[in-house]
Amino acid sequence: MKPFLKTLLFLCIAGALALPWLSPPVYFVSLLFIVFMYVVMAESWVLIGGFAGYLSFGHGAFLGIGAYTTALLMNHFHLSPLWVLVSALPAGAVAACIAAVIGYPALRLRGPYFALITLCFAFVMELVVKNLDFLGGPEGLWLKAMGIDVGLARGIFFEVMFVLMVVTVLTVRHIEFSRFGVGLKAIKEDEEVAQTLCVHTPRVKLSAFVLSAFFPGIAGGLYAYYLSYIHPETVFNIDISILIVLMALFGGGGTFMGPIVGAISLSLINELLSAFLKAEYARVIYGLLFVVLILYLPDGVMSFFRKGKSADT
Amino acid sequence: MTGILVLQSLISGLMIGAIYGLLGVGFSLVWGAMKVINIAHAAFAVLGAYLAYALLKMFGLDPVLGFFVILPFLFFGGMVLYRYLIFPVMRARDIVVSSMVLTFGCAIIIENLISLIGSPDPRVFTTRYTGKALFLGPFAFQLPQTVGALMALGGMAVLYIFLKKTHTGKALRASWQQPEAARLYGINLKRISMIAFGLAVASAGLGGIAMGFVYSFDPHTHNLWLIYIFLVVILGGVGNVLGTALAGLLIGLLNGLSLAFFPYQWVNVITFGVLILILLVRPSGLFASEV
Amino acid sequence: MKGFKAAGILALGMAMILMGSGLSVAAKPILIGGSLPLTGKFAETAKWIERGYRYWAEEINKKGGLLGRPVKLIIYDDESNASKAVTYAEKAITVDKVDLLFGGYPGTAARAVMPVAEKYKKVYVSMGGHMKSFSQGYTYSFGGPPLMGEWWYLGFIDWMKTIPEKDRPKRAAVYTMNNPIGASLLDSMKAMEKELGIKIVINEKYNLPLPDATPLIMKAKQMKCDILFSNGFFADGVMTMRAAKALNYNPKAIVQGVGSVIPAWTKELGKDGDYVFSGTALHNKLKFPGNKKLNEVVKKRWGLPAYPVYFGFGYCWMQTLQQGVEGAKSLDQTKIRDWLKSHEVHTIAGNFKFDKRGLPKPYNYLTQVIDGKVELIWPLSVRTHDPVYPKPHWK
Repeated sequence: MKPFLKTLLFLCIAGALALPWLSPPVYFVSLLFIVFMYVVMAESWVLIGGFAGYLSFGHGAFLGIGAYTTALLMNHFHLSPLWVLVSALPAGAVAACIAAVIGYPALRLRGPYFALITLCFAFVMELVVKNLDFLGGPEGLWLKAMGIDVGLARGIFFEVMFVLMVVTVLTVRHIEFSRFGVGLKAIKEDEEVAQTLCVHTPRVKLSAFVLSAFFPGIAGGLYAYYLSYIHPETVFNIDISILIVLMALFGGGGTFMGPIVGAISLSLINELLSAFLKAEYARVIYGLLFVVLILYLPDGVMSFFRKGKSADT
Repeated sequence: MTGILVLQSLISGLMIGAIYGLLGVGFSLVWGAMKVINIAHAAFAVLGAYLAYALLKMFGLDPVLGFFVILPFLFFGGMVLYRYLIFPVMRARDIVVSSMVLTFGCAIIIENLISLIGSPDPRVFTTRYTGKALFLGPFAFQLPQTVGALMALGGMAVLYIFLKKTHTGKALRASWQQPEAARLYGINLKRISMIAFGLAVASAGLGGIAMGFVYSFDPHTHNLWLIYIFLVVILGGVGNVLGTALAGLLIGLLNGLSLAFFPYQWVNVITFGVLILILLVRPSGLFASEV
Repeated sequence: MKGFKAAGILALGMAMILMGSGLSVAAKPILIGGSLPLTGKFAETAKWIERGYRYWAEEINKKGGLLGRPVKLIIYDDESNASKAVTYAEKAITVDKVDLLFGGYPGTAARAVMPVAEKYKKVYVSMGGHMKSFSQGYTYSFGGPPLMGEWWYLGFIDWMKTIPEKDRPKRAAVYTMNNPIGASLLDSMKAMEKELGIKIVINEKYNLPLPDATPLIMKAKQMKCDILFSNGFFADGVMTMRAAKALNYNPKAIVQGVGSVIPAWTKELGKDGDYVFSGTALHNKLKFPGNKKLNEVVKKRWGLPAYPVYFGFGYCWMQTLQQGVEGAKSLDQTKIRDWLKSHEVHTIAGNFKFDKRGLPKPYNYLTQVIDGKVELIWPLSVRTHDPVYPKPHWK
């Protein structure tokens, strides 16, 4: 069984890498680009939300920060669009720095209070960007077009996002089974006990939070380019923050596989529904999906695989 | 002159705050009692507003009276929802997150069913007292807002009395403070929870109607209302009914004050910014949680 | 490795999508595709645009189609999400291989789709995203007609000039929502101040949703502003009107941004919504051919007295596109573009010649809600009702 699955996974990765060069309709490249972005987002979220149990409801803000940093860098220095690959890195760094500033005081808060403060943070970010004219204000920002064929451009960005996704997944997977990850999970179980077990909780939490903002920051940079026109209501949209939380929980929040499964399945199912059904019916069925899933698998999709067939409870 | 403006902003801020409070109370109750985060709470509020609107348009029934017509339906609907969707999920490892995903689905379903059966057009209540105001000296009390605020205060008072004075309410509080002990005393947790859930949904409906007196609403509006509910509940302490009510008033007050003193485009930034500061100074909210 | 099992299932699902979409490439009819926000925040307006598009398609198919081929619409629901609008535009272009794109809504979505249309060299006739979006150098985008915040009050300014100076308002209170439409509307405020000599006393922006309109009105009243500009949408416009009534604030004129031309305004506000001025680029009482018939259709199907403005816009953008195709006698996008840039189109909103940016000459009508109907006030040649000015006091 195992070798077969390994081959399948290998084929999946190889297929994904090759996809843009097989000249498929560009839509599939773009769709998967967005799906990968959500995997990056949900996967990063799991670091703080899944492992440490600190539900961040403002993670979409880091995507927006990344997008705006990249767009401003590009517009300010009149960089050629190909530089976006490089300028997305400082975008990640900026997101991480802001996360450190926010996280330092905010992570002292527990449970719902942390959720609330991150939500407020996301709102403030959106509004501040909208109110400050040097950041584009209510008009948003345009990015210069890349002078190459659109299929090729989408292909390049697809590959970069794919690499980012793989790096993110591997990082999170590595952390899950490392000392660091164990520390985070100890915090989720009981923070006081974790402290007595020599886990330096403030530092561990902060590192996790900063890291969980870094990847979305980079993803935001790539996303800004994908959109070519960014607006606070598009990239700071609170729905994104909520959606990634749901994706992670849908898949099962406690493990690195959960967000992958959640992000991919939810995005693709939504896409399928919209393709074949009338608007509102598609949405109703999408809603039913959450209800039915939780009724049968209250702990998310991954719990099905974890328990296997032996456990009925 | 500015003094009047400040006080006027405060008055309308407080009235709207009271309505946020009512919307929050039911949410808080369910969260505190059963650890269930009901994302669909605001969707029920919008549903209540739509039902009241339908009664108003079809029979000319005032939304305040309309509430009493729809109250049993909402109450019953809440109980059914608890019995068949929430209760079976109570076995989840982490009920807080599982209930969030589940009720998120419910919210989407409600939103789009409203949109399918009605239409996505925005609605507002138009009654005999719409666009009228009571003047106390230089201060204006817009009648619809005042009615909404009074409904909110009434609703919160009823819930408060229910929890503190009635037998069921006491049992409910006991059962969430000490579930084991409550069971020993022969309290039927499932039945009690069902009633509490029904009450929460009914209070959401009332809150939705009160909101309808102040704001226009469309099927999508619940996303917005939910955010305010979330703010009010956490600030007021989860499960703390009185705290939630006060937090609602506080947010209204903040909004009103910043409307009077700052450029309007910064009002929401100030409100959310002050909330962040409050949380940083008091990491566990303004009022104690009753969990 | 439990994870791999999941990966396998997902791979299967993806393969299914690939196959499913690959099969649906049709051959015969002319495909026109894109997305509209059919659910979510902008659903109400989008529904009417969709109906406009569908009615246009129905009508042209009855007449024997476009270039002799039937027309088929592929309309996706982007859930009021500009990012999805981009993805669906790409889907329409690369998967469905549509022959033509239709315009999206609102301005933020159009702004995001315009560069996509440019990259794929597809003619894109839409409302556009105000002047900023038309000055990005796109060559395939047309505002046919556009919704231009910058032009929105042109009709109002011209009409106000006919009022003797002593009867004009002197002090304006301007409240504007903080988004692309608001920012563009503010542009026309400057023109108004310069050309009419009305002093802007209050100039405030607010973020949606507006928490409360009472202080806004109170301030305008205190500052003795005798004209109120409420540059917002429906929700905030309604609140402002009701607060004005409750506080008995009686300026000489109330001007509303984009809220008062949609059917909900008169339907929900009734008499309280009367006498509000606004702009529009299209109106169901215009005398251009086609409007009468559309009004009859809407009356028959949806029981409304006349077509809602966004129904008309949907239909009108399609008319522009249609004439481009028929003029170029081909589906070659560059030929359509060049034809549109060098010829005049005749639509229900008027006759337009497009410039390099894809815009017609600046124009806008002034409307006023009178007795629950949106009437045309200016230019004089299209007037359907005499303006009510100054605004009667609240009863």
